[in-house]
Amino acid sequence: MWEWWKKNRSLLLGLVLILAALLGYSLGLRDGGRTGWFERVALRLGGPVFGPVADARYAVAGVWNAVVPGGGLDLEAETRRLRAEMANVEELKRENDRLKRLLDFVEQQPRRTLAARVIGEDATSWFRTIEIDRGFEDGVTEGLPVIDAAGLVGRVVKSAAHSARVLLITDASSAVAVLVQDERIRGVCRGQGGTLALDFALVQDAIQVGDGIITSGSGGVFPKGLVVGYVRSVRREEFGLFQTVEVESAVDFAHLEEVLVLLKEGP
Amino acid sequence: MRVLLYLGLAWLALLLQTVLLPPLFPGGVKPDLILLLAIWIGLREPPLKGGALVYGLGWLYDAYAGVYPGLHGFVLLAIFLTVCGMATRLNTESLPLLWCLVGGGTLMHAALTAFALEFFVDVDRFWALIIASLPAQLLYNLLAGYLARNLYFRLKKMVPDTPPGVLARFGRRHAP
Repeated sequence: MWEWWKKNRSLLLGLVLILAALLGYSLGLRDGGRTGWFERVALRLGGPVFGPVADARYAVAGVWNAVVPGGGLDLEAETRRLRAEMANVEELKRENDRLKRLLDFVEQQPRRTLAARVIGEDATSWFRTIEIDRGFEDGVTEGLPVIDAAGLVGRVVKSAAHSARVLLITDASSAVAVLVQDERIRGVCRGQGGTLALDFALVQDAIQVGDGIITSGSGGVFPKGLVVGYVRSVRREEFGLFQTVEVESAVDFAHLEEVLVLLKEGP
Repeated sequence: MRVLLYLGLAWLALLLQTVLLPPLFPGGVKPDLILLLAIWIGLREPPLKGGALVYGLGWLYDAYAGVYPGLHGFVLLAIFLTVCGMATRLNTESLPLLWCLVGGGTLMHAALTAFALEFFVDVDRFWALIIASLPAQLLYNLLAGYLARNLYFRLKKMVPDTPPGVLARFGRRHAP
């Protein structure tokens, strides 16, 4: 027995350490998404360096776009912006009609917003998060929605003093309750890395390519009516209960530089 | 001293991966320099000291990656201990070994990440995302490993190997 222990001691100790690390990870999951002290310290230490380096990067990119012919002309970005504007106008018109019919509507106060710069992207290739230069000292706390001019970006998941991490809607662990704008069909948009998948759309629902997808307001994280994206493809299986709907995000995440954080209401 | 050097390299890797490299890799897949550092530490440091260091690096990595604290602590520690277990039997300066370690480390990283997310968290179709990006990840990691190795040997030639030279100590393989 002693010989066996001496022979396999390193292997067993290694396995115990790995299991302990796995236990540490699973216990961390029960924390409910709060920012731990270690993450706060790490983000606080990185912020003062990453911010200026990101500024320098944007400056170099700006010079590059100005110098290289056609570098600054981004037709795709312009198309996205115009489509988002159209979807917004349509949504406002519908909302106005509904509220007129109801007569006793209470107009929602627009939420306060805070502009923030994107100072970093996710360190890995598999997750989709960004780092912004505003933190809990600016009122940015976990769970707040983040948008840009084109639509919904994501929500704050970690917050340090002067920086925060935002989980993008395209991340695989992100899920947003949505509505198909024209047909008012409910569903859940899940991230797939680059695009989104609309889950729980029944096979008989008449969803068309190009339909706008907006937040439904269910779940309490995102306010209703934010543009999420547009239907890129629809596939209906003959015997399936749900159809497979691929959604293209309204936001161009590859060129995201500034975002707006929707702050909490009240004092 | 070496611990400080490793921490400095880890911060540099994070800066590259979060700020400087993303515009050069528009698809979202970029070299995983922290993984390379963990493999390197596995070749150079004893299990206990190196294990504690790599576990800490994993937590630092998690502060800038994903939303699951402790995930990379677990993944990088497992990779480190695997490399550490083999390091005493191998010629750690050979190029084919580099390909094997970086390739194997990348595959192990992908498999352990998928395992930790699929079994512990409700993340939909994460494995599909990993599989789709794995070839590019493998290629970038191998390329980055090759460049880092060449840079290391170049620096080693330039800096005289006199104790207590940082590079000399940094490059020394731990005793079997």
